[in-house]
Amino acid sequence: MKRLGSFKWRLRTGALVALVTAAALGASLTLVIGANTKPEKKAGNKQQTVAKADPKPVSHKTARKAKKKVVKRLSGATLYAINCNRCHPERYPTEWTASQWKTIMMHMRVRANLPAVQARAILRYLQADAGQ
Amino acid sequence: MKSMNTRSLIFGATASIALGLVLPPRAAGAISDSDFNSLSNLVQQLNERVQALEQTHARDQQVHARDQQQIRQMQQQLGQTQVAVTNAIQQAQAAAQVQPTVPVPSGPSASHNFTMVGDAEVQYGKVDGSHGSFGLADFAPIFLYRAGDDILFEAGFDTTLSDNRPGSTDPGASTSFDLSFGQLDYLLNDYVTLVGGYMLLPLGTYTERSAGWLNKIPDDPLPRGVLPSNGAGVQLRGSVPMGQTGQMVTYSVYGVNGPSSADGTANADQLDLDSNVGFDSNGNRLNLHGSPSGGGRIGWFYPFKPHYDLELGVSGQSGTWDDADQHLWSAAVIDAAVHISPYVELKGEYINSWAETADSGTIHPRGWWVQGGYKLAGLNLDLPVINNVELVGRYDTVNDGLGTKTDRYTVGYVYYFTDTLLFEGDYEFPSSNDPDQAHNQYVFQLSYGF
Repeated sequence: MKRLGSFKWRLRTGALVALVTAAALGASLTLVIGANTKPEKKAGNKQQTVAKADPKPVSHKTARKAKKKVVKRLSGATLYAINCNRCHPERYPTEWTASQWKTIMMHMRVRANLPAVQARAILRYLQADAGQ
Repeated sequence: MKSMNTRSLIFGATASIALGLVLPPRAAGAISDSDFNSLSNLVQQLNERVQALEQTHARDQQVHARDQQQIRQMQQQLGQTQVAVTNAIQQAQAAAQVQPTVPVPSGPSASHNFTMVGDAEVQYGKVDGSHGSFGLADFAPIFLYRAGDDILFEAGFDTTLSDNRPGSTDPGASTSFDLSFGQLDYLLNDYVTLVGGYMLLPLGTYTERSAGWLNKIPDDPLPRGVLPSNGAGVQLRGSVPMGQTGQMVTYSVYGVNGPSSADGTANADQLDLDSNVGFDSNGNRLNLHGSPSGGGRIGWFYPFKPHYDLELGVSGQSGTWDDADQHLWSAAVIDAAVHISPYVELKGEYINSWAETADSGTIHPRGWWVQGGYKLAGLNLDLPVINNVELVGRYDTVNDGLGTKTDRYTVGYVYYFTDTLLFEGDYEFPSSNDPDQAHNQYVFQLSYGF
């Protein structure tokens, strides 16, 4: 009976861990496939508009569809205001050097579970006005 | 052409006059008076016309001379401009060869870097029925060492000073130096980070966001006491952005040694949540129980716009806790946080845990807390002192599963000297069926985040 009981506990523990893992990884994979998460090729602090270029002549319908597809990419400054201010007052970019900001952003990316794309955009914003 | 006409006229007029003068008297005598008069008038008119033409010619020459002078000046200025443009082009080309096209603030970041962040606190408190005192002097640095683009080692410490008990064999004060966390982070890719070491556990969000200058109330919520805050083990964590709006799903999955038993038995009062880090006090490696605990958190963050957002999370952990590996300890946490404008924040957690024991069956330590804050700057009163104040309040309740139930109301404030230097104060009203825990108290804390 004791062995059976021990087996039961292990089974429960294993099942819980497996459930959480599967849920997390399943959600992640689904979102990776579904989300448009291509890394940014060029950074900017202002809001950028991203639309797919179409070399073919377009009809009105296609043009309307393309207009709907236009997505505003959030700037590093906006992402900084969205994410960092949730837990602490925003720090001034001049408080740290560009190299220190890289280290701190790596720490915050792990601690706050920031998406890599957003962490890079925030880092570029901070480094643009970093202290010397 | 004008000059030629003028010369012809002058020549004609002169010739006519000369002809009149040199003609023989016979010829003069041959013309009538009227003819002579008309000829004289004609000569007169020609003279006048010659004079007018000479004046026009003189003016034309003056204009021509001025035009020539202006042309020379403009040619000189053009030459100077061409020299300036040539110099500018040469300078720009030289500058482009020296500097990159896109200016970089301070050159490329060093591949390795050491940085220290953290916080420090000084606290003064008074519990009803006892003397007030400075109860805490805490220095909590976080050392960050970046080794390349994807490896970070981070360690957080708590250095506190405390009095030794009067009458003890070692009077005076002692300093404690505790490791809060020490972990290696390896960024495997954009979506997964491997973490190993002694970690803050993502059971809810409070532990990972509980530095002194982040807490708007100095004391921890009561039900956090039924959860472990740290664990030695490994973790996979990361997040996936959803679209381009800042929305994301976050996850953490970990395995740690987990809670243990103080004396090895499964008696309810021996549950030890925060030990079992793999070494005993003599430095010997231990495995207090055979099975590690597993856990994780999955969260969803949705920002409507900056300062307006919603975060929800579910987390849990489970594993055996007694040395015989027979009794399970499990916990589940639901957490939520809302920001409505830069001035309003609401957050809270619901915590439930189950501990199978040998002497009390399965006990359910549990509780919940909710906290709100309002920055008075939202009133737009344009008063510097008022604008720096945030009012905070919290309700927390905990049932330890062994018969003690405590509720607490807390009201307080945060005064922001700067964004990172805070002066906090709060008054706590607890009520409990354990008389030792039912004492009102106030706490003041000066916090600095760096």
